Amino acid sequence: MQDVLLQLGHGFMHLGTPTNALALVVGLVVGMLVAVLPGLTLVMGVVLALPFTYGMAVTPSIVLLTAMYLSGTYGGAFTSILFRIPGEPLDVPLLWDGYPMARQGQPAKALGWTLLAALIGGLITAVSAVALAVPFAKFALRFDAPEYFAILMFGLSGVVSLAGGSLAKALVSLCVGLLLASVGVDETYGADRFTFGVPMLKDGIEYLTVMVGAYGLGEVLTRMEQGFVTPPMDASRKLETRFPSWREIRELKGTIGRSSFIGVLCGIVPGAGATVGSFVAYGVEAQYGKNRGKLGTGIPEGIVAPQLASTATVGGHMVPLLALGIPGSGATAVILGAFLLHGVQPGPQIFQTSGDMVYTIFASMFAAVLGMCLLGYFAIKPLIWVLKLPEAVTSAFVALFCFVGAYSARNSVTDLWMIVAFGIVGYLFERFRFPIAPMVLGCILGPVAENAFMTSMIAYKNDWAIFFTRPISGVVMVMTLIALGFPLVRQFREAIRRDRVAAAPIGDLNHEVRP
Amino acid sequence: MPPRGARLRAALPYAAVLLGAVFLYFRAAEFAMMGREGNLGPAFWPRAVLLLLMIVCLLEMLRVAFFFRREPDEPIVPAAGPVPEEDDAPRLPALLAGGIVITVLYVPAMEMMGFFLATILYLAAFMWIGRYRRPIVVAVTSVLGTIAFVYVFMKVVYVSLPLGAGPFRQFSAWVLAALGVH
Repeated sequence: MQDVLLQLGHGFMHLGTPTNALALVVGLVVGMLVAVLPGLTLVMGVVLALPFTYGMAVTPSIVLLTAMYLSGTYGGAFTSILFRIPGEPLDVPLLWDGYPMARQGQPAKALGWTLLAALIGGLITAVSAVALAVPFAKFALRFDAPEYFAILMFGLSGVVSLAGGSLAKALVSLCVGLLLASVGVDETYGADRFTFGVPMLKDGIEYLTVMVGAYGLGEVLTRMEQGFVTPPMDASRKLETRFPSWREIRELKGTIGRSSFIGVLCGIVPGAGATVGSFVAYGVEAQYGKNRGKLGTGIPEGIVAPQLASTATVGGHMVPLLALGIPGSGATAVILGAFLLHGVQPGPQIFQTSGDMVYTIFASMFAAVLGMCLLGYFAIKPLIWVLKLPEAVTSAFVALFCFVGAYSARNSVTDLWMIVAFGIVGYLFERFRFPIAPMVLGCILGPVAENAFMTSMIAYKNDWAIFFTRPISGVVMVMTLIALGFPLVRQFREAIRRDRVAAAPIGDLNHEVRP
Repeated sequence: MPPRGARLRAALPYAAVLLGAVFLYFRAAEFAMMGREGNLGPAFWPRAVLLLLMIVCLLEMLRVAFFFRREPDEPIVPAAGPVPEEDDAPRLPALLAGGIVITVLYVPAMEMMGFFLATILYLAAFMWIGRYRRPIVVAVTSVLGTIAFVYVFMKVVYVSLPLGAGPFRQFSAWVLAALGVH
């Protein structure tokens, strides 16, 4: 414990260097801007910031992206509460009570509750990241290739099962990502795979182009097809934040406790990111909250629960990312990409080999929480200014960022063609409602998973049962099967429920669906 | 049972993916023989993924054919609180087609004309096609935005953006000199 605190102290000292401090501030501001703009998702914003980190050292790069991630979970609250426009999907539950409270003449109070929830969620997430990462890493030191393969399968299955409603679509997306990762010269045997004689495919497909193309350009094309319908906002509204009293905060201690737990848990479980955390916390409040009957009418519980939980997921996500090298969400996949671009492989050894960097990142999380709250309190008015820009203009620059970002990685025009191709793929995924996250994660984790699988097969003489007979990998593989089976069971139950509703007489139906 | 057209539309993406997967599975034979004795070889992993892909597509096509119902596309989260308004914006395929065409043309244009000129044209065309029709704002935003990009990426981040060919290359060099980028 003392050692951890000492290292954290060193982390704060490293954070004080001009480069790291500047990266933190820039990350906070850009994260807020991204979250405020309805056309830009948080993951897209982190992806677009990636090229700026090429010339930086690894620590400020990760500090910048993590600060963006953290403040991005908070910035969208302003547009949700004031304009009823969720900047991010995770802000949707927030507007159910935030907007009514603002309409009741209490926008400052609604923003105050949001700020408080972000502050508590942020501090809890930073503490949980520091407390859980080292035990996680120590445990992971016992892992061999089969355990790694099992963990990777669990991570991928979590993302697949929680990415969207259709398991089939998520599996298709994941397989496409795994196949994209297998293009190029195979590392083990040196064989050309799916290169079709095209020289540029021998180097493989950069996951960066897949990420930037599918998330960034794909989203831009989707919005273009919709005609850029989001109108510029009247951002001249008075913006004030008023903190709730100590007595009011104490009345919400149950909500705070429940949402904190849900947030951290959703962060650690792969696939269950900030959006799921936000919805689940609101749902739990609707079922178990003291004022559950009043939810949706503009009560503080409906603001605190989703905001606190979504911010609290960030630290949870950082734990498996740093300790195991497994990203649990789109944003952490990009952060993993940044690590790899700088030649750093996160995993259990990272605490020994790059302890200073890890604790600087942890320290930056504490500083980012305070920074984002200060920004939200004092500087939100200039940040909201971006809402005045027409969507066609911002989207044009987002597309440009995608191109320049992909080109910057290798100065290769080939990557520009890849961006166009994956932009169209991303649009088609959006159009046919296939989730993009499994494809991106498959692309990043595919080579690692294949390597762990092949190493296991070589070491254990092609014995498939090894993944199930070793204690740790066996448990994780069973968890993987449960994670994959969960949506099937849910869909089956949903189908039975729908059949019952369809078969019920009209009188019964009215009774059943009564709000 | 929903009409045949709806079922066909639902099955189409899976049929396309299935065809692609079958094609790749057989193409994998080209490198399947490169494995050493007793090892699984380089084709094992992609073929396993392709098999999974084919099974998923086949099952989905069967589901659509015999047990079709609307897929639950909403995220797996508790249905709590009021349901947000549906995004009922109409789709405008002409806009999308225009966007894709200028985006595809942007890449060869950048190689030929260089980043500076091609980007000014791309930004202006994008905003115009995106139905933002204020010519002076479009022109000024495109030029100033491009200058900002050139300055930040070439002067600050040291990215060597394309200069173009022939006379365009000379023009790009002149612009860079004017911006103090060497």
